[in-house]
Amino acid sequence: MPDLISTSKLSKSFGGLVAVNRVDFQVPEGQVAGVIGPNGSGKTTLFNLLSGYFRPTAGSVRFLGKEVTDQPPYARVGMGMARTFQLVSVFNSLSVWENLVLSSFHRRQQGSRLGSFFFKPAREASTLADCRQALETVRLQDKAGVFTSELSYGDKRMLEIAIALSLQPKLLLLDEPLAGLSDHEIGEVLQLLHEVKDNFTLVIIEHKISKITDLVQRLSVMNEGSLICEGEPGAVLCDPNVRECYWGRETDAC
Amino acid sequence: MIDTILYGLTIGAILYIFSIGLSITFGTMQIVNFAHGMVYSLGVYLFISFLPWTLRIFPLAMALAIAAMLPVAYLIERFIIRRLYGESLDYAIIATYAVLLIGADLIKYIWGTAPQPVSDPIGVPLVVLGVVIQLYRVVVFLSAVVLFFALRIFFTRHVIGKIVVAALEDRDGVRALGLDVNKYFSIAFVIGSGLAVLGGVLYAPITTSEPYMGFHILLLAFAVVIVGGMGNLTGTFISAFVLGMVIAITGRVYSSAADTMVFVVMALVLLKNPIFSFVRRLRGRPAHG
Repeated sequence: MPDLISTSKLSKSFGGLVAVNRVDFQVPEGQVAGVIGPNGSGKTTLFNLLSGYFRPTAGSVRFLGKEVTDQPPYARVGMGMARTFQLVSVFNSLSVWENLVLSSFHRRQQGSRLGSFFFKPAREASTLADCRQALETVRLQDKAGVFTSELSYGDKRMLEIAIALSLQPKLLLLDEPLAGLSDHEIGEVLQLLHEVKDNFTLVIIEHKISKITDLVQRLSVMNEGSLICEGEPGAVLCDPNVRECYWGRETDAC
Repeated sequence: MIDTILYGLTIGAILYIFSIGLSITFGTMQIVNFAHGMVYSLGVYLFISFLPWTLRIFPLAMALAIAAMLPVAYLIERFIIRRLYGESLDYAIIATYAVLLIGADLIKYIWGTAPQPVSDPIGVPLVVLGVVIQLYRVVVFLSAVVLFFALRIFFTRHVIGKIVVAALEDRDGVRALGLDVNKYFSIAFVIGSGLAVLGGVLYAPITTSEPYMGFHILLLAFAVVIVGGMGNLTGTFISAFVLGMVIAITGRVYSSAADTMVFVVMALVLLKNPIFSFVRRLRGRPAHG
């Protein structure tokens, strides 16, 4: 499978702090990849570089075979890259349904003026159907009219994922989707991810390694801004460097 | 008393109309935009120049002044404000303050330093409970109320309004939806600038226009935005009228202290949290409980 997204010597510094250091990261199309690492190891910075929220200090990002290093976030979403955030990002001042409709707005704007004149109603119907479908996928259809501020944190996380799904992504980047959730909610999110993972390429940052080892086909481990190990989850978790950075020196080998 | 209340409502209306753009720029871009005062004062001077050309038809000259300032506002946003996104607050203050100074000097260069009066376009006095009030001031107050509801509809019903509201809450979240957030900031900025000119023109018959008029209203408007909550459009509406009444009532008792009282109120609002925690501590409750 060709790489859907890849980086070459990607680096990001904030003043003297090197947050991401010459990272070569590739995810083949259709794969579910996990990125793990201790706090401050550069995982979220890597996501921000992949999705265009940060401009790299050096290096490049390719998506769908095209150089996207200088593309802004909205252009990357237009190409099929969706993301969620570590702190759940939904709009509390809008209803659940309005959150989703807002996410479909950019697709309704796409295409030529003449094209949108003739096909606008059809496109609107299709994007709204995608929104409805996404809401059903995350089982929030009964709460469509509820103000987002009234949702539980778990439902907000589900809504954020629904928004990302409604963008019909080719690549979905999930930044710690299980953070702050109860065990029950974690189960629901994981079940959802298992259900939808075949529809796109998925990259997931997670702290709770044990929760995602069944989900991901490949794990990449970051430490102090660098990728220190990559491979099949079982092998990666037995790697001495990984065990040292996660659990210190005094750990038993696999 | 009625004339004091009406004066407060009129000043509140002008402060509200002027402050909307400032509040949105604060809320969405975290930029302290002194250039708003330049758009306001230059717009008023253009309006004064347009008045004779438009056969003194007030609304026509006003529409022309707003239309003329929209491209200026767009250029300020595109080439100055947009470059300040994410930069330190100091840069924004220095850059936009420079625009304000340039605007004041431009006005002095073109129109001179003499104050420019504008006559009341309606000129109809009303007698309410034996007190003579000007109908124009009632119209200014009602314009602000109509504008408030029109903006409410825009921000809750229109998709561009919803995007701006969403961006006030979470700019990065809007980017994640595939929307070019800068484009919507531009639209909001230009609308806010147009409203600043509207506020200035409506105020022109009540006061006299002078090259530094933008400086004075800016300070009052910053107080409005801080008291109302940055980016909180309903809060801006309420605080504008509260501070307008503060100016009117203080002005009646001791006119020199009118503006000062606005900043006393602002300071109290800024101190609100420390005061509340002090009161809670006195009552023996946790400060953030």
